[in-house]
Order: sequence, then C-alpha cells, then structure tokens
Amino acid sequence: MRIGLEVHVALPTKTKLFCGCSTEGDEPNTAICPTCLGFPGSKPMLNEDALSASLRVAKALHCQINEITYFLRKVYFYPDLPKSYQITQLEGAVGHDGYVDLGRKRIRIRRVQLEEDPAKIIREEEYSLLDFNRSGIPLDEIVTEPDIETEDDLREFVSELRSILYYAGVDIDKEMKVDLNISLGNERVEVKNVTGIKNLIDAERFEVKRQSNLIASGQMIAKETRSYNSEMLSTVSSREKESDEEYGFIYEPDLSAYPTLKDSIPDTVIASSAARQLSSKYGINEVTLKELVMFDRNALRLIQHGLRCSKAGTVINAIELLKRHNGIMISDKGFEKMLSYMDNGMLLNEDAIKALLEDRDIGAEKNAVSAEEIDNAIRDIVSSRQDLVNEYKSNSKAFNFIVGMVLKKYKVSPKYISERLAEFLKDKA
Amino acid sequence: MKAGIREFLAEERPEGYYEKLIRDLEEANEKLRMFSVINRELKSGMPFSVKDNICVKDVESTASSQMLSGYIPPFNATVVEKLDKNGFGFIGKTKMDEFGFGTLGVNCIEHPLNPFDERYVTGGSSAGSAAATAVLRHHVSIAESTGGSIACPSAFCGVVGFTPTYGLVSRYGLIDYANSLDKIGIMARSASDARYVFEMIKGSDKYDTTCVDHEVTTEGRRKLIIIDQLIKGVDERIASSFDKTMCKLGNLGYAIEHRSVPFIEKAIPAYYIVSMAEASTNLAKYTGFKYGLKVNDFSKNYNDFFTEARGNFGAEAKRRIVIGTFVRSSSVKSRYYEKALRIRRMLIDSLNSILKEGFIISPTMPIVTPKVDEAEALSPLEEYGMDSITVPPNFAGLPHVSFPSDYIGGMPVGTQLVTSHFNDMALFDFVGRWEEDFEYRFKYNVGAL
Amino acid sequence: MENEDFDRLLKICRLSMEKDAKDKIKHDIDEIIAYFNSIDGVECSKYSPAYQPISVPARKRPDRHEPFPEPGKLLKNSKIYRFFIVGPKI
Repeated sequence: MRIGLEVHVALPTKTKLFCGCSTEGDEPNTAICPTCLGFPGSKPMLNEDALSASLRVAKALHCQINEITYFLRKVYFYPDLPKSYQITQLEGAVGHDGYVDLGRKRIRIRRVQLEEDPAKIIREEEYSLLDFNRSGIPLDEIVTEPDIETEDDLREFVSELRSILYYAGVDIDKEMKVDLNISLGNERVEVKNVTGIKNLIDAERFEVKRQSNLIASGQMIAKETRSYNSEMLSTVSSREKESDEEYGFIYEPDLSAYPTLKDSIPDTVIASSAARQLSSKYGINEVTLKELVMFDRNALRLIQHGLRCSKAGTVINAIELLKRHNGIMISDKGFEKMLSYMDNGMLLNEDAIKALLEDRDIGAEKNAVSAEEIDNAIRDIVSSRQDLVNEYKSNSKAFNFIVGMVLKKYKVSPKYISERLAEFLKDKA
Repeated sequence: MKAGIREFLAEERPEGYYEKLIRDLEEANEKLRMFSVINRELKSGMPFSVKDNICVKDVESTASSQMLSGYIPPFNATVVEKLDKNGFGFIGKTKMDEFGFGTLGVNCIEHPLNPFDERYVTGGSSAGSAAATAVLRHHVSIAESTGGSIACPSAFCGVVGFTPTYGLVSRYGLIDYANSLDKIGIMARSASDARYVFEMIKGSDKYDTTCVDHEVTTEGRRKLIIIDQLIKGVDERIASSFDKTMCKLGNLGYAIEHRSVPFIEKAIPAYYIVSMAEASTNLAKYTGFKYGLKVNDFSKNYNDFFTEARGNFGAEAKRRIVIGTFVRSSSVKSRYYEKALRIRRMLIDSLNSILKEGFIISPTMPIVTPKVDEAEALSPLEEYGMDSITVPPNFAGLPHVSFPSDYIGGMPVGTQLVTSHFNDMALFDFVGRWEEDFEYRFKYNVGAL
Repeated sequence: MENEDFDRLLKICRLSMEKDAKDKIKHDIDEIIAYFNSIDGVECSKYSPAYQPISVPARKRPDRHEPFPEPGKLLKNSKIYRFFIVGPKI
C-alpha cells in the first residue's frame, strides 16, 4: 500500500492572504471585500506574515528553499472559487524536497506551497450556499511523497506533522483538511477533502478494505477522485473526472516574485527528536517524554532546564504535576524552586503550585508536606478506623474514603496517597 | 497660447457652464455613441472621462460587456480617486471593444463613430475615450492599453494618446484583460495636458503590487530611429505622410537612422499568445451570480449554470477564451505560452539597447482610418495584423505616445514615438515641441469657453 | 485541431455554441493557431521568460486589518439567504 497526502493547514495570520479582511469572520459574508470576492477591478497584495509563517513551516519540514518564491494561477470552475482560479504555487513554491522523520523511517515531503482558501460551500437540494469569510484565508498545502505504507505510519506521520506545525507557530486547533492519495494496486485513488484526523483514519480504512475487496475479486481499481462521507464512514466516487479539468497554470502576473531570505528563517524545534535525545541521555521513557512535550513547548523548555539542576524522575513528576494544575506557564525560577522542594521529599499541593506560579514563597509549613506527614496521617486512620480497613477488600468505596480523608487535609496528589495507603494495607493483610 | 488644464482650472466658468456642457455632450453622444454613462451631476472641476473597464464607485462599469451589465463597483479605481481629489470632475464612462478585445472599436453594442466623419471607425479598444477627447474642448480621458488600445484610436481620432511604462500607473480598479500588459494611460488634446494628468496619477499604490515608485526621467534624444520591419507594407498614403513628418522633424534638427530588430515581427503572435493566455484566466470569473449578468435558475448544476452565463460573451471574447485556454494547456504550454514570454524578454533587451541611442518613430497605424463596414468585414487575423506597429512597445511595456501629425482626406493620421522604460517625460517634451509648429484640428469643441 | 479536442476545450472553458457558430469560431481559431506556430522558428532559448515587462519589486502588506468600508454593497447583486450567497447546485 502506498499513501501520499496533501495536507492543508490555515496559517496563523490576523488577515487574509491577499487582502486586509479578518480571518475570523463571524456571521457569514461579513469579513469580505472586493479582493476576496474576486470582484472585477480588485487586485491581490501579499500578506508578509503569511509568507514568513509558510517559510517557517517549509524549513521545519527540512525543505529546500529557493532564493525566490512566486505564485501561479490554477484555473478551475466551482462555485466556491471566486475568481475561478486559485492563486497557489507549484514550481517556485516556498519549499520542496523535505522530510518528516519518524525515527524508524522518513516520509518525504514533495512540496510546501502557500495558497488561498476557497469559500465555504454548503450543498442544498436545489442550490448551494456560500460564505466568503473563508475565501482568501492563507493555507499551507503540504504534499508528501507516497511513503506512508501502513495505518501506523499514517497516524504517526499526522501526529508528528501536527507537532512540527505547533512548534512552527501554526494553530493546529483549526481542523486539517487532507486529500488522501491511496493505491493498493497500480492505480491511484484520490479521496478529497477529508476533515480532521479521525475521518482521515476512517477514510483510509474504508479505502483499504474497498480496494482489497476489488483486488481479491479480480476487479480493476479505477483511477478516480472520491469523496469521504463521514456519516456513512465510506468514500463515494465524485462525478467529475480528473481529465475534465485542465488547470492551465500560468504565472500570477498581479504579484511579484519574493525573496525568501532563507538564511534568516528561524529554526523550529522538532519535539520528537528532542525527546529522543533526552530519553537516551537521561534514561527517561521516550513515550512518556513525547506525550509531555509534543504539543507543549513550555513543557519541553522546563524539562530541558530542569534536567540541568535536578534528577530526571523529579523533573518528569514535576511536569506531570504542573500539567494537572494548569501550571505549565511557571517561570524557570519557580520551577527550580519546585524541583528543590520535591528533591527534599516534599509533596506539593494545589496551593503550593499556585504560590510557585505567582513567584511567591510557598510557605512550606502550610502548603508543602513531607512524605512522613502523609504516612503518619494514613497510619492514624488505618489504626483508628478498623471498620474501613476490614471492608476495603470487598468495597472499593472504603479505600477511596480513606484517600479522601487524607486528601481533605493535605491536598496532595490522590495518586500518591493511594500508593501509600495500598502499601500500608498490604502490611495489614 | 493654448488653453489647457491649468488655464481652465484657473479661470472662472460662466454660470450654467456644466449644464450646457452636459446638454451639448448628450446631443453629440446621440450621434457618436461615445459614452455609456454621462454624469449629469457634474458641477465642477476639469472634466475627465473614464474608459468603461475602469471602476468608478457606484457607477455601472461593464468593460462594454453584456457579462458585466449591472456591475456597480463599490470602490473607485486608484486613478479615479486621485483625479477626484485634485480638482477633476467625472463626466462619464466611455465605450470600448468588449474587455479591450479589438483594434477598431467595433466589438461592442452600438460602437462609437469617428467624430471627424461618422462613416469611419474610431479605432479601439479605447474607442469612446478617443472620440470623447476629439469632441470635448476641455477634457482628458483615462484610457487603457494592452496591445495598442490607446495609440490606435488616438491616431484615428486625432488626439494625443500617451501610454506610460508598465507599472507606473496603478491598475487597481481596472477590469483585467491581460495583467502583465495592461497599462492605464491618458488621452488629451495636448502633450502638456497629458503630462499634467500623468504627474498626478503615477506612483505606487498599496493596492497594486505591480505598481512602482520608479523615478521618471526626461532624457531627450537627438536621434530618431526607424525600424524598417515595422513600416514595411504600410499603406502608401501613410508612408508618404510619414516621410513628410520625418522631413519636418529633420528640419527640427533630429538625426534619422534606419535599423532592423531580429524577430520584431514575431511580437504580434507572441503578444497575442500572452494576452490571450492571461485573458482566458481573467474571464474565468464571469459565471453569472455574484456580479454583472445573473442567471436565476440555481437548481441547474453549476457547470450548466456557468455555461449558460458564459454564453453572453461576445464572439471575440469567446475566441480569446478558447485560444488562451489552449496555449496554456499543459501539453503545449512550453511551445506557446513560455516561448512567447522568452520572445518578450528578447525583444525587451534588443529594444532597450536601441532606445538608449534614440527614440523609435513610426506611423501609429499601418492603414488609413477604415470605414465601419470595411472594419466589420475583416477576419480576426486581419484585424490582429493591424497591431503590427503598436504591439512591440506594448508587449515590452515601453512608454509611447501617438500624436496627430497629418490629415489625409480630412481624417487624422498619427505618429508613434517610443522611448526607454521610465523615460516617459521625454515623450511630452518631444510632442510639445512638435505642437509648436503643428496645429491640431477638431470638428467638435463641446464645452469651449 | 481535431473536433474532439475542440469540444473538450469548449467544455473546459464552460462555453457552448450552436453548430454554425462553432464551425466558424473553430475555423478562425485554427487559422490563428497556425499563425502562432510561426514563432516555432525563433531561437530564444537563452532568454528567461519575461513574466512582466519590468522588474516588479517584492512589495508585501503588513498583517493589519483593513475592513472594507461598505461590505453591504458587495452583496447587492447576489441572492442572499440567511447571510449566505446563493450559488448554483453542486
């Protein structure tokens, strides 16, 4: 099986690619102007931040970057395309021939191109409805080579790509739109416009099954364009054949060719490779580390910082604790303090973390407790409430009740209390 | 003394001047069909007209195409904005060949007629602009040239037609024909008026990427260069008139030299390839539901809906859409579209090196003004052939001017002068000097003080 | 050009015409394309394509809001249904 993707992601700009309209229009057709409606007489003017974001992404994907980048017109007819041509890139794109490293293999990136989004279109029985607020929003289209060979590859690639985009400053909360090129036999089938990652995996599964069945029954797989129906969990053949359209690309004569100043494009941290390095250097579990840092640049920074002054185990525990209490924005100084408390065997509760976040002294006697204190508290309850102890094996509520009693007093991690309590009860058994 | 823009603006207009101006203009327009819209609200300022492919806010702008009937742009073209702010008053929209597709000015409904003799064409595509300039005494017209659409009608209507270096005047608000070739320019009754307006409208614009803030020079040339291939085969009457003109210029002290430029005759096919390729993309947007002509049956599949709407293009527009789509299709793109762009580079290089030495001079058109019925009988290819002299400077984005230099049988004849990129001002100096010894004639002087 | 190719071209352009008009336009187009073929002999491979006749500076726009002052006017010619522009069926 060979899968290639065309991933579309919206770039983090306030205004559209070629006009000053907001990218966050609310009511339909309110963030519009002559340019994004394609009115006769209007002209495009390139948004500098869209170009720089696009170059950042291209570099993060290890692409070759040309000295200059320029745009083309791609002509096709559809109601959502205001000029009946899309301003996009091909040769002369912001980047080409890059890759995404999955550790065990590489997925090659053919091209990263900057282009304008068409309008949003809603299909109705007797007409269509169009919202041009979306028309002209800057997109990066990331085109891979057909190097994805399994569903695991697909999942891993998408997760890795999202992480890279996140670190390159691209808002990944907006849904990704993906065109999926998938071939089990000789012919390539393109599944257009799959939105979101769950749908992507479902569409891939359906196509694999569909094409496998065809092959098994000795039938040919037609080269065609299909679309994914998320309600039916299936793909259906689109009526338009590929050969019906002739894009007839020409140079976009309303724009210039833009120097990329490629030596000044900032580098993007690749979180997974940073995690790999830290894992082998400090002996931390790679999966745990990745989970913490793939979509959290503060976590990565704190871990890198913390490992210089504390033990790996403490650092990881501290990060997990901070994430639980929405504390990942902590200052480096606060984090150092936190690590030193924890290295001294102190347990930190919610109030303690709040104090650290606000750069106050936590008042150790009030908000941080030593492990000894917790142990004493548990021992007291276990010895005074024999009724609960007798019951705990048959009734999990009894166990939780004890945990709750300790928690009420000390507000430290319930997981920690549970572990300690289990230890005590083991002795009793 | 010539009474130009400066004098007009300095003087008091008699009471009721504009009312009479509009009345007289409407009367002339009945006969000559120059304007699609006349602004009856005009009450002040130096009157200027605007070719119908240039947007004027809240005024129907159709590029003389059925496809755009009812298009009311909610914004001004940058040129219009600048003139509005500088003491000019909008007098109306002038007719043109549909989308600029035509050399003779007959590719639109009720096309304009030549003010010197209504049996003759005005030339195109800025047909109405040239006719209006020949009719109105105090007025300038904002016209547009892609491949000769200012020079040709200026020659046939006996006015000064100036086409600037590509990119010096903002195209924001211009309904595109071929974006890498379109240039907004000026028609006037004197070089000094054209210059006055040019200085006002040039300069970069935050709404047009291709518009530049380049310094514009006034470097005179002592030498006039005739490119032999360009004047080969021109009408005999034109040839002898041109000889007469060159004699006069020789007497003014210019040296005259003959040259040839390799492949310059290929400028026409190469120009048509590039312009049609771009035009076919620009015209793709006309699909009948957001502006201009409307198709109302939304229940039709979009392909049928679009096809129905696009049936309203005129014949020449359809031809150019089909050919333009062909020359950029993937299997032949390098043979036509890309090759034509290489030819453009080659011609720019060779013309620029010649233009360092002198102006290139020629008759503007290879023919005398044709009659309407003669024009309508021409095949498309015969019509394209008439652009042989105006296309090279347009294709190369070079500034050029056509100025009246003779009258044959009562019809004006124009001479075309070309100079280097960004040496636009030198053209006004040259024509200004010509005007010292040559009186332009007009049949109409509507609005004379 | 073969009739079949011509029909395909018309379809791509979303144009359709009656047989007579089509025959005439096809005749003109064949003639024009034959004329275009006259550039075949021009040796110009050493020249780069001139996409624009002058060198256009790489001007860009800062990422700053500039809302269109009269958005309502943009929708004047469209049929509107609950703020949406109505388009043909897809």
